[in-house]
Amino acid sequence: MGTKAIQTLLTLLTLVSLNFFLPRLMPGDPLSYLDNNDPGTDSAMLLTEEMRSQLLAYYGLDRPLGEQYLRYLGGLLRGDMGWSIYYNAPVWNVLWGRLKWTLLLVGTATAIYVTLGSVLGAFSAWKRGTPADAGLLVATFALGSWPSFFLAMLLVIAFGLHWQLFPVGGARSPYLLDASRWEKARDVAYHMVLPVAALVLTQFSGVYMLMRNAMLGVLGEDYIRTAYGKGAPERRVLFQHALPNALLPVVTMIAMRLGFVLMGSMFVEVVFAYPGMGTMIREACMARDYPMLQGAFLITMLFIMACNLAADLLYGFLDPRVGPSGAREVRSA
Amino acid sequence: MGGQIWHALKGMLLILASIGLAGCRTTSVPGPESATTTPTPEPLVFTYPGEDWGYPSPFARDPRGPGYVRMSLLFDTLTWKDESGVVPWLAESWEMSEDGKTWTFDLRRDVRWHDGQPFTAEDVAFTFAYIREHASEISWSGEIAKVERAEAIDEHTARLTLSDPIAGPHSNLFGSVPIIPKHLWEGIEDPVKYLAPEALVGTGPFTLDTYSKEEGLYIYQKNTAFWGGAVAVDTLVFPKVQDTAVALQAGKTDMASFSGNEITVVKQIEPDPGYAVLPGPSFWVLQVILNTKRAPFDELALRQAVAHAVDRQRIVDQVTQGGAVVANLGIVSPSTEWANPNLPGYAHDPDKAKQILQEAGLENQAVTIIQSGWDREAELIQADLEAVGLQVTVKSADRATVDGLLKEGRFDMAISGHGGIANPSTLRTPAWPATTYENATYDALFAAQSVEMDKPARRAQVWELQAILAKELPVLALYHPLMWVVYEADAGITPFYTAEGIAGGIPIELNKLIFLER
Repeated sequence: MGTKAIQTLLTLLTLVSLNFFLPRLMPGDPLSYLDNNDPGTDSAMLLTEEMRSQLLAYYGLDRPLGEQYLRYLGGLLRGDMGWSIYYNAPVWNVLWGRLKWTLLLVGTATAIYVTLGSVLGAFSAWKRGTPADAGLLVATFALGSWPSFFLAMLLVIAFGLHWQLFPVGGARSPYLLDASRWEKARDVAYHMVLPVAALVLTQFSGVYMLMRNAMLGVLGEDYIRTAYGKGAPERRVLFQHALPNALLPVVTMIAMRLGFVLMGSMFVEVVFAYPGMGTMIREACMARDYPMLQGAFLITMLFIMACNLAADLLYGFLDPRVGPSGAREVRSA
Repeated sequence: MGGQIWHALKGMLLILASIGLAGCRTTSVPGPESATTTPTPEPLVFTYPGEDWGYPSPFARDPRGPGYVRMSLLFDTLTWKDESGVVPWLAESWEMSEDGKTWTFDLRRDVRWHDGQPFTAEDVAFTFAYIREHASEISWSGEIAKVERAEAIDEHTARLTLSDPIAGPHSNLFGSVPIIPKHLWEGIEDPVKYLAPEALVGTGPFTLDTYSKEEGLYIYQKNTAFWGGAVAVDTLVFPKVQDTAVALQAGKTDMASFSGNEITVVKQIEPDPGYAVLPGPSFWVLQVILNTKRAPFDELALRQAVAHAVDRQRIVDQVTQGGAVVANLGIVSPSTEWANPNLPGYAHDPDKAKQILQEAGLENQAVTIIQSGWDREAELIQADLEAVGLQVTVKSADRATVDGLLKEGRFDMAISGHGGIANPSTLRTPAWPATTYENATYDALFAAQSVEMDKPARRAQVWELQAILAKELPVLALYHPLMWVVYEADAGITPFYTAEGIAGGIPIELNKLIFLER
């Protein structure tokens, strides 16, 4: 247990250091966005060299890299993630403001596509070789091969513009100031329909395929034949004998995928102007906002590590053959 | 089998539709009408697309133009500008001493802060002193450094003493420094990190109701006690939209601005009588910076050959679809009186370019263009230069990378753009880095014009600066994109473009005056 803790600590330290140094290896600096502008978003005040160096000093960016690094680590130990230069706000505030929307959007989409993918995958395997199975397989292949942003754009054009059934973007209506809590919740749900649909349609094929394959493997096992042999009804064989066993690889995959959920919905978020993590990371990267990038990567990293841990624990729970200590062996095999 | 696919698809669509309908029935018309309890008189809600430009306090806002505009709805300045020039604002009148260093302002007497406290000369004196003191934390007009003393003579008279004379009310100083309330800012150590609601208490026509950083959403309510007359709009909303043209045509916004090749959108909307179009000036320039500090562009002949080789009109026609004008080689916006109309044109003439290169022995030079987001322009320039015998490599990178190379002077040619060109101070800015061009005569002339009080004399100096640029060509200005505001004809708001731009030259039509009953 002690070695595991040390391993985890070392992993954390390595990742935190990478988070710190990688953004600083990119050309440009966090002030470059200030005097670089688009037509129409022109700067009122341009930076002179003097103002530049004053601002660099204000943000502590004029100090030696080693000192900046130690300050960053010290801040993290005190629970201080720093101050975002581009957004001019505490890093954690910006992160949390974005994180809640991404978790809502991707969480909803994930719940839907995992359920849909598992159920349809199991159904397909059960009915293997029938027209229903073939139809589902082809349809899933077709949908899964679409880039998410392209499908998202099609959804916007069809349901947002042409039929005007759903909003073309954003996470809620800007006008519902005095609305009740219930009205606001409905408004948020209404704005989520199209982005969730885009994520579900493009993501669910992975779960479906894996579930179908796992199920096909399981259905050939001896214990299924035994279950039939002792006269168990079909439904019971499916849900009590086959499904729990087929779920093992699916659980691992979902846990792994969840880790990337924070970044993975970027394209869909951009198309729908959804105020999530993906768009923020893109902006912070373009603006070379070091503290913001460090914070975003740290959260993503912790989230991925937590998901992997959850997968380990769940695996032990789902498969009694794998104890909590054996989990690592299985995963590395 | 086909039937099975259809069945499966139909099933999925049904699931989606059932999710959708639940929401659709209830909030398909999320209009302002449903949100208010008093239907008469109907409040006027005005919507303009935007994104996050920071918390709109004078110090926490994004330092770029749109950030300033969002702040200017809450805060007022000593002077302001309308469509024809400088107008009195918090200062009713002002007097300048003979040496141009002492300015005395007679302030309005009927102004109150949003929290009800009276506005006095103490606030003005405090503002200038406070900003000077905190100049290291905020990117602010360089002229603030010239303020030596700010004092309140009596309750409604404020005096500023400067170290150097400035070019009068046309300077950015009086028209862009927002006056902040002394009673709220006194004792605030770090204005950039002060994000309390009190940081938004100004004297302006609006107060901020809602700000959502992650959604890029701002909602302003009118200040019913505004000193400058009635505010015509009750609620002002800046929602974030992904596609401005789509949002405008779907009726989601009342006004939107377009520029450059978006001329195609403007032309498409223009015939609709429901919309009005306001064509704007051009306060932005796209240019090729030629690095005169290293070979091969230290050769004037090469720079001149490039000017003859590049077909700037073709770039305007093909890349911007005619949504721009060929640039003034002196960079200053041709929409202003500061632009020198008598500059050498360098007509597109590949043969002349070849001849210049031959005479200077510069054939077959290898040059590199760095750029970010100007791929089409770079392609055309590359073709033009290769046609006169140069070997051209185009390197594309993201913006911060190109910017870093520019600052370090590590490039031959760089495509880059900037605004602020309505104001002559654009002729010496970091946007056009000192790392690439050095000329003592030019610098002396630039310094002289910035303190010249006589407008015709200053204009002559500014014209001379442009003549040097056009001859020396440290930069080849390509084009000035045009702008248009498209707005709903019956929205009750008539936009205009501010003379020489809002405050220090922001080319945005959101001057707070358009929301007032004038």
